[in-house]
Amino acid sequence: MTPNTETNRFTGASRYVLDDELARIVNISMALEMPLLLKGEPGTGKTMLAHAIAEALGMPLIVLNVKSSMKLVEALYQYDTLTRLNDSRFGDSKRDVSRIEDYIRMGKIGQAFTAETRTVLLIDEIDKADTDFQDDMLDVLDQMEFDIIEIDKTVRALNRPVIVITSNAKKDLSDPFLGRCNFHHIAFPDADMMRRIVRVHFPALDKDLLENTIAAFYRMRQIDGIEKRPATRELINWIRALKADSDCRPQQIGKGEPPYLGVLFKKSQDYQRAREAAARRRL
Amino acid sequence: MFIDFFYKLRDVGLPASPTAFLTLHRALSLGLVSSLEDFYTASRSILVKSERYFDLFDQVFAHHFQGADMPDVKGIELDELARSMLEFWLNKPGELSRLLGMDEKALKKLTPEQLLEYFKERLKEQTEAHHGGGKWIGTGGYSPVGHSGYHPGGMRVGGVSGNKSAVKVALERRYKDYSQDGPLTQALVGEALKRLRHMAPAGPKDRLNVEKTIYQTTKNAGEIELVFDRDLKDKLKVILAIDNGGWSMDPYIPVVQTVFDYARAQFKDLKTFFFHNTIYDTLWGDPARYRKAQRISEFARLDPETRLVVVGDASMAPYELLATDGSIYAEERSGRPSIECLMFLAQTFPRSVWLNPKPSDVWDYTRTISAIRQIFPMFELTIDGLEQAVGHLMKK
Repeated sequence: MTPNTETNRFTGASRYVLDDELARIVNISMALEMPLLLKGEPGTGKTMLAHAIAEALGMPLIVLNVKSSMKLVEALYQYDTLTRLNDSRFGDSKRDVSRIEDYIRMGKIGQAFTAETRTVLLIDEIDKADTDFQDDMLDVLDQMEFDIIEIDKTVRALNRPVIVITSNAKKDLSDPFLGRCNFHHIAFPDADMMRRIVRVHFPALDKDLLENTIAAFYRMRQIDGIEKRPATRELINWIRALKADSDCRPQQIGKGEPPYLGVLFKKSQDYQRAREAAARRRL
Repeated sequence: MFIDFFYKLRDVGLPASPTAFLTLHRALSLGLVSSLEDFYTASRSILVKSERYFDLFDQVFAHHFQGADMPDVKGIELDELARSMLEFWLNKPGELSRLLGMDEKALKKLTPEQLLEYFKERLKEQTEAHHGGGKWIGTGGYSPVGHSGYHPGGMRVGGVSGNKSAVKVALERRYKDYSQDGPLTQALVGEALKRLRHMAPAGPKDRLNVEKTIYQTTKNAGEIELVFDRDLKDKLKVILAIDNGGWSMDPYIPVVQTVFDYARAQFKDLKTFFFHNTIYDTLWGDPARYRKAQRISEFARLDPETRLVVVGDASMAPYELLATDGSIYAEERSGRPSIECLMFLAQTFPRSVWLNPKPSDVWDYTRTISAIRQIFPMFELTIDGLEQAVGHLMKK
């Protein structure tokens, strides 16, 4: 299957600021039909990218949120024994109790495979699951088919979904897994890019507020020994908080302790350190 | 096509697989790559699977397509050394020129860049003398003036490429901070913590109680009944001993303390002690090593399961380690050489490691490091070293 690269080219979406490099990587991954593995600091828009691709290409988005205890079969399909038992006892449904197929429900991967149109499949935070899950899943995604054991049926993908996988690097991913993906690391945006990102979210933002918050934000990212640095998501929430506060004067943000530090620093030790750093600068 | 490029990547230690290389060719044959920029992004996303190798990839790419300097894997350390020499020179020009056997005035005429190059040359001669001729090509281009120190504060920002040429992008080396070879810095605290989080007892695994199982099974007339016990496990106790004497250790002390302090909640107990160069009869609870003395003989009373983490460069004059009364402090006279004290500690706490900020390939050149390595398993104070050390501490 050769995808029509002309019509299926990803160029960005309304709420997502895309840099050229990432756009090229997304397009190459789609053409090669390989899953794209995204890494990067939390809050740099890994998950948002999948939403943006879905929006831009007009495909439905299916999200599989990986959990640590997850089994692969849950992501593929579920055999709803409870409903079947219920039906067999009361018999008031339209389902045929003797047909097991009526009680098979598709999981997220199954839904992406059986969908009528091409879909975007986002597998979020793959690193939470154990290695077996990851390897088995890639087998399924490689072959684009899986078996439903209960009814001895093979589900084959009608359309090969565009697969985006994100990882927060909590655990290292296995080599065979990495071998089957394309890889990109979303670097933290610089100040110019950040201005564009903020503009997309707040088109009518006061210029003073924008400049002051961004300057203060990057200064705070530089504080030594922070475990979880504030990222784009935190900045946007922070601006939202500042906008809601009618007492807030943009010129004051850079001086003294910035308001609503808790929006930016979410670990108590980080919060403490940020406060100390802010206090020291004032002296 | 590009086979040279592929092998160059492998030569510098970038784990690019042949399958990935074939995938790259598939991308080429599909007509997806029409410019060097496309090739840069395509080859990187297909061949390189971790951001820690992005910097290395950038360097090789720039070398292959533009003839930029080939990265030297040993280069980073030499760079750091040269820069610390420059720092030293700025503070005490007289002393350094004397040490180098150079005229101070001649050195003063050089610009900082030239000085840096000169120091590198000198260092290179030295390493060559030791290593027997390792090739060295400078990565060059650091301006030492107007920068805060050897470790640029925090992760540098990068990632927007705009419309620059691929080679230019590669030459920018945007991912320098993501490569994790260098010693631990404040910027890497988050990464280091991730490694340390593994330092937790294995979850409450249910353990088969064989005796009770046999009893119950026979009672059941042969119908097997398994009896499980909950495997009780306590959180870890950790003793952290830091060498805080001497300027060579200075940059690492706050980093190590921050990392362990942050991880404090996951330990049952974390004690931090200090020493200078090596440990004699006492460790000190206060950084000044004056008020809170702690005799190590009392450690014998502690739980032997306590993990001992020693952080130090283990470099000193051999007599400090081996001679009785070797301490450079007159009040530390016990009649026991330090090496015996270290052995005592290693025996008291069988799960112990020594973290050394010096890179492992120079360990063999210092006698005291070799001696201490006989006693403690030694790991580099880097992200990888920390990972290995935690692995060792948690080994069953």
